[in-house]
Amino acid sequence: MKPHILLTVIALVISCSTTPALAHKVIASVFASGSDIEGEIGFSNGEMAKKTLVEVFDEDGNKLGETRTDEEGFFVFTPKKAIPHVFSANLGSGHIAKVKLELADMPQVGSSNTDRSVSPIPELGSTAKVLPTQTIATNGSVNITMAELTEANAALLEETRNVMREMIHREVKPLRREIAAYKEKNNLQTILGGIGYIVGLFGFWFYFSTRRKLAKR
Amino acid sequence: MHIVDGALSNEVVIAGSVLAAGGIALGLRKLDIEKIPAAGMLSATFFVASLIHVPIGPSSVHLILNGLAGLMLGWAAFPALFVGLLLQAVFFGFGGLTVLGVNTLNIALPAVLVFYICRQGVAARSAITSAVWGGIGGTLSIVLTTLLVGASLALSGDEFIPAAKLVFVTHIPVMIIEGLLTGFAVYLARKVKPELFAELTVSAEATS
Repeated sequence: MKPHILLTVIALVISCSTTPALAHKVIASVFASGSDIEGEIGFSNGEMAKKTLVEVFDEDGNKLGETRTDEEGFFVFTPKKAIPHVFSANLGSGHIAKVKLELADMPQVGSSNTDRSVSPIPELGSTAKVLPTQTIATNGSVNITMAELTEANAALLEETRNVMREMIHREVKPLRREIAAYKEKNNLQTILGGIGYIVGLFGFWFYFSTRRKLAKR
Repeated sequence: MHIVDGALSNEVVIAGSVLAAGGIALGLRKLDIEKIPAAGMLSATFFVASLIHVPIGPSSVHLILNGLAGLMLGWAAFPALFVGLLLQAVFFGFGGLTVLGVNTLNIALPAVLVFYICRQGVAARSAITSAVWGGIGGTLSIVLTTLLVGASLALSGDEFIPAAKLVFVTHIPVMIIEGLLTGFAVYLARKVKPELFAELTVSAEATS
């Protein structure tokens, strides 16, 4: 039994001398951002997929388009249809990143999006139509400023919305990264559990072989 | 080193699974009762070794240690490494369940080849010679594994030369590290517990 004790020691020394590091595994995540789909592709050791072709498919494997990651493994895709999108990238050496964006997580696509972003303007416009007639009676010069004001208001609203979106995006990004890293974390319990399985399996085989050997006698 | 689900064509996955199943069956038949604890131990070592990352420049590589398993177990490396790979796939998400056969073949076949190529060297009378052959075995097993991974990718449509080259080049550090590690492990085992390679010596003498 002694050689096995020796091996146990070797295994323990190696496993203790380094903290269980992240595995060399592909991670990919996609999320809606405004009317676009943004995504990140990289390896779990922190290395990102640079300048990698990302192909976009629908659920049945029909190609919808393609995009390319930047230096930080980041990509943007503007969807045209409100259907689930599947993003796939080949990172070489048998590493394939495949990630699906469900319909519920899809950004507001195409016309529905423009409808939504434009919607405040007609509303304001309709009030503006009423307002000028009222203001004309009092002051002509105010009429022009009111119409301009509503337009400027709408533009400002849209700009605020964009700024907000960008801000939230920036705030959420590190969180998202942390969650992705957390998902990939292998804790000691997992490792010990795996070793436990190995011991159990080989123990079972040991029992099995011994029984067979004894039965032969 | 671990090929993931969906990277290979169906033919390669099926062929790999069939061959791996054959290897496992043969390995289990050759796995004597005395060797079972060693097989379990090496399986656990392999399971944990992939979590040890060696940082190289901006990237990092992980250990495989299939050479050591091959030298100590011979054909029994097939079931041992299969169990390790299965648990890595389930617990850590390395590789995947459908490509398990191909991954087992890519990692265990070099181990078996190394066993046949280096066993005489490792069984040498001098511990130093034995360690050197152990080192050669450790390096060679990675070289063969990268070639097999390249071949599996090539058979699935990638061009062989660039695919194999990429896998080979990124694993050069692993080759060096595993060579040294396996060499030292063999040296230590020879010094502390020479009978660990007893069967190796017997089988080598039987053939020579």
